[in-house]
Amino acid sequence: MSNYFGDYVTVAVFLLIGAVVVGGGVIAAKMLQPNNPTALKSQVYECGIEPIGSGWSQSHVRYYIFALLFLIFDVEAIFIFPWAVNLETFANAGFGVFILVEMFIFIAILVLGLVYAVRKGVLTWE
Amino acid sequence: MNFDYHALLPEIILASTVMLVLVTDLLPVKKYWAAVVGIIGTSAALVPLLTLTFCDSLDFCEATGARSMFSGTYVVDSFSLVLKGLFLVVALVVLLMSIGYLEGGRFWQGEYYFLLLASVLGAVVMASSRDFISMFVGLELVTGPTFLMAGWRKGDDRSNEAALKYFIIGVISAAILLFGISLVYGVTGQLRFADVAAAIAVRGESPLLTIGVIFTILGFAFKVSAAPFHFWTPDTYEGAPTPVTAYLAVGSKAAGFVGLLTVAYVAFGSTRGLWAGLIWVLAATSMTLGNVVALKQTNIVRMLGYSSIAQGGFMLVPFGALAGADVTPDMLQKAFFATVTYVLIYAAMNLGAFATIIAISNRIKSGEIRALAGLGVYAPGLAGLLAIFFFSLAGIPPVAGWFAKLAMFNSAIGSGSGWGLALAIIAALNAVVAFAYYGKIVKSAWFDAVPDDVSDAMKADTKVAPSLMLALGITFVGTIAFGVFPSLVTGLSEFASSLSSGL
Repeated sequence: MSNYFGDYVTVAVFLLIGAVVVGGGVIAAKMLQPNNPTALKSQVYECGIEPIGSGWSQSHVRYYIFALLFLIFDVEAIFIFPWAVNLETFANAGFGVFILVEMFIFIAILVLGLVYAVRKGVLTWE
Repeated sequence: MNFDYHALLPEIILASTVMLVLVTDLLPVKKYWAAVVGIIGTSAALVPLLTLTFCDSLDFCEATGARSMFSGTYVVDSFSLVLKGLFLVVALVVLLMSIGYLEGGRFWQGEYYFLLLASVLGAVVMASSRDFISMFVGLELVTGPTFLMAGWRKGDDRSNEAALKYFIIGVISAAILLFGISLVYGVTGQLRFADVAAAIAVRGESPLLTIGVIFTILGFAFKVSAAPFHFWTPDTYEGAPTPVTAYLAVGSKAAGFVGLLTVAYVAFGSTRGLWAGLIWVLAATSMTLGNVVALKQTNIVRMLGYSSIAQGGFMLVPFGALAGADVTPDMLQKAFFATVTYVLIYAAMNLGAFATIIAISNRIKSGEIRALAGLGVYAPGLAGLLAIFFFSLAGIPPVAGWFAKLAMFNSAIGSGSGWGLALAIIAALNAVVAFAYYGKIVKSAWFDAVPDDVSDAMKADTKVAPSLMLALGITFVGTIAFGVFPSLVTGLSEFASSLSSGL
């Protein structure tokens, strides 16, 4: 078991080196840089454009539901890609129809989620 | 890939029912139709369970013993059949209890039945899981929907508090469980329970494995609300709608026990020394703390929350009692038998107790124990049911609870070790304490004078929703039948007392 924890010593050493590199860089910059702030310099950097308004902008809570609906289809896509890649292998092994039907069941369940959202009026913006 | 569709049929029917309930909610029909669809689907899912159980005597069914699928990660054996049957019947009773409750207030109905059945599907999956991934997915499917259901009384602060507390504790316990599982996986490199057991047998114990095993067991201890991991239980039980509380106290808790038993015995069987002592402590503290704190409660649902912590402790006794013993397969089987018996009987009597409380609080509009005074005078039927279910919880013959306690004591004393005897003595003392607060409820209902604030309208209102009446009927028959004919329940739990590893 000692070599198991031995592996963690390596991790700890790397953690230490990482901390020294990052922390050392920040401290060295702090010591070397001239400190001369002006109002223009302390502005928030926004791709060179002058920032407008406050950093705390509010977005409508409805976007949350859109995000959820987006997630449904995002997840669907994640599953469909490996499925499509492997379909041929499965078809050669004689499971083609089974795997095809499985995917349609999966899509039907997700579509039911969308139908539910539409019927409950989630997509109408009032 | 081999698919035993017959063995998977209960899950397939239940999953289709979950979808159908959601569709019914979208159709322009009365909302209770969603519940009707749910009840029909859940009953239909019981049919393949029966055909699988009596497979030997059916012509069309090929008897193969335990059916192992998905390379041994999903097993339909007698243990899982009995527990699946329990979960489905619990779902039926909770659905029946919910209809009247939801119709009587401003609630979202379709979603409620959808979430309830999704949670039951998770429990059914858990009963068959024989690897950490499907067990964890099942467990999360059980708990995920219940977070939402606990907060179903949206306008009520207590319900929101219940949901939030339950959510936070649920997430923490899932994290602890996953942490344990990841350590076990890290040490053994296996996820299937049978492989984990084999890998542990080869590699022996190590500090890392010890931490993994203990965290996994503790993750389940949160789910079964064993003390000292119980602190969410009373608040959540009190704040959640009462049918949801009934489901949490019975369905969700039984699912936690199923997970605990399968993981402990199939995966960690050979490291019993690591966790048997832990379960001993959990059993002893749950019983003592649950019972002592229940004595002081004034709200009846909150009292039942502490009572369910204590009952959970009693269920752990048979396994805690094996702490110091040389375990033979025979003793293990006895412990399984005792715990399954206890879970089955507890389900009947606790659901009955909650159904009675729903019926009573519809009438007296209060959840306080004081408000039960004089119930026996103006509502003898409800007061009678209350007495039967609470005497059963206390363990008084001839109602079912006594047999659960008998099986538990029998197994604890049968372990023959000092630890087992000590736990049996703690359990016996607790059974006496428990009688005090269960008895207090019954005394209040039957022997206290009718208070002045009971209006004539309350006395005259004898209406109980038909669905609730049916739920009361089922649990009443179960509680009486299991008590008078214990052979009914022993048949089931003997059938369930062998666990197949799936390989």
